Amino acid sequence: MKKLERAKAEAYFKYRTTMIVIYLAIGFLVSYAVVLNAEALSSFRVMGIPFHYYMGAQGAVVTFIVLLFINAIVSDRIDKKFGFNPEYVDKADHSTVESSKGSE
Amino acid sequence: MIVDGQFIVSLSLIVATFALYIGIAIFNTAKQTSEFYVASRGVPPIFNGMAIGADWMSAASFIGMAGTVMVLGYDGLAYIMGWTGGYLLLTFLLAPQLRKYGRYTVPEFIGDRYRSDTARLIAAVATIIISFTYSVGQLSGSGVVIGRLLEVNTAVGTLIGVVLIAFYSAMGGMKGITWTQVAQYLVLIIAYLIPVIFMSLQLTSSPAPWLSYGEVISSMRELDQDLGISEYVVPFTEATKWQFIALMFTLMAGTAGLPHVIVRFYTVSTMKAARWSGAWALLFIGLLYLSAPVYAAFSRFILMTEVAGSSIDNLPAWTQPWINTGQLSVADENGDGVLQWQELSIHNDIVVMATPEIANLGVFVIGLMAAGAMAAALSTAGGLMIAISAALSHDIYYRSINPNASERKRLLVGRYSIVIATVAAGLLALNPPGAITQIVAWAFALASGSFFPALLLGVWWKRANGPGVIAGMITGLTVTLGYIFFSQSLGIQLLGIIDTGAGIFGAAAAIIANIVVSLNTKPPAQETQDEVTDLRYPEQMQYKNGEVWLKE
Repeated sequence: MKKLERAKAEAYFKYRTTMIVIYLAIGFLVSYAVVLNAEALSSFRVMGIPFHYYMGAQGAVVTFIVLLFINAIVSDRIDKKFGFNPEYVDKADHSTVESSKGSE
Repeated sequence: MIVDGQFIVSLSLIVATFALYIGIAIFNTAKQTSEFYVASRGVPPIFNGMAIGADWMSAASFIGMAGTVMVLGYDGLAYIMGWTGGYLLLTFLLAPQLRKYGRYTVPEFIGDRYRSDTARLIAAVATIIISFTYSVGQLSGSGVVIGRLLEVNTAVGTLIGVVLIAFYSAMGGMKGITWTQVAQYLVLIIAYLIPVIFMSLQLTSSPAPWLSYGEVISSMRELDQDLGISEYVVPFTEATKWQFIALMFTLMAGTAGLPHVIVRFYTVSTMKAARWSGAWALLFIGLLYLSAPVYAAFSRFILMTEVAGSSIDNLPAWTQPWINTGQLSVADENGDGVLQWQELSIHNDIVVMATPEIANLGVFVIGLMAAGAMAAALSTAGGLMIAISAALSHDIYYRSINPNASERKRLLVGRYSIVIATVAAGLLALNPPGAITQIVAWAFALASGSFFPALLLGVWWKRANGPGVIAGMITGLTVTLGYIFFSQSLGIQLLGIIDTGAGIFGAAAAIIANIVVSLNTKPPAQETQDEVTDLRYPEQMQYKNGEVWLKE
């Protein structure tokens, strides 16, 4: 095992957490914020559907899906940028039956 | 029982799909405990995404949701956004970390992270209550479908479902179920999309209903205005804005806290795979959820233009069997011999099942719908049974009662508990305590009041401790159950929030209780806190004694 610089480890965590906060804020905006302002947003239309309804039926769901794929792609890139292998599997995983007994 | 062409086509489709599921289950019979619960962590993300989709999309999604949107209009969209938005909370905040912590079940994570056997037992009991409540809804849903289809009593239909679920859950375990559920996802999504695409070709001459249904919504606006009824897309006609928000939150947080969904993220090998599984899962689930409002709009439009306005003595042939079931009622109230829109009353739960008949799509599509509905109900019930069996045999029996139990014995206890739980849920489903969607909503409220706060703080706040989580789970469950009870039976409501939105109060109370009690009791041991810090980093890194190590 190799020791990792503290600053690097913290930068990694901060980067990941910032991205998650941004994704969740966008998710909140397209769902809760639209519902809270539904009446005001109903005046313009997307594909012939009033905006508040469009967002509930389609816009929010599509945004959620896109956010999850962006997260999956960006997270892999962040891992690589920091020099980690996101596909690393720990053979001595503490989740196997035998060693979970030992950890108690 | 009437044996006609429709009956034969529907039955053969159901039998053929069941043979496929059971065949897969037998082929993959689990041999080891780890395979039984988590499929050896070898399921690729794209297939795991499909399995999550099948696990997730239940009788409520498949049979009930389009009807709910049709009947409630905009207010029904809280279900669409809530049930999809939950995957954001799950994938961003919980799944990768839970995957890294690496346990078999959710109660096991809670017990080990908080170093508390009491917390694990409370969580195991909560898992059983939530999954059991949810599976009663599924079994009564499958009873409705089998009953209507085979034209036998609903009770007989429920019993057929019970036998099937008990058989393949107990035989295959998680691995059998994972591959069975991939097959079930494909069956249910094809069954759901074909009628929508056919209706779209009929009504808008476009094969892409998601892009073309705007014109139907616009036409309905004129129809509503002519009838002088409240317009389809106008918000908050059925309940307050706060009920919409509370329901949406409850469904989101409940999704992120449902044990049978979270356990799916243990079946992958890395945090990366957990993130990709979440993304694929929502894509596959989104196909159905994006189509439900289309379904709702098309069905409402056809009912308004082709059924309403026809002579009461000359209604389309499909109406009679549904009128007989009591789910559809037509009454010529003003006695003019013509059925008006206002005189037509259709129950939420039959919209999807009746639509192929309404739109005259032919026997094959109708049979396919029945097979898809069965796939939805059975796959979710199967996942729920695994969660119950894991809580009983692993968290309660192995971790608390008999820690020396051999692997064979634990598997046996797991299989017996599936059979017992399925039969018990089936007996309750013969006489269900509420409508399918209502029972399901209670399960979500309970999950958002108990597991969501416990997992969120367990992963993100290292100061949270055993007494804190015990106080949190008990407070959350009490507040949720209390609010459901008070709003249901005594009519006491806050801001117009009814029983289905109870989870928002449960989650808030649980988070506050966990924080307050944790801060007033001893902080967790350094080792425990280090374990939580370790969850910040990918699989390859390990946090120990204030240093981060890179494994090679």
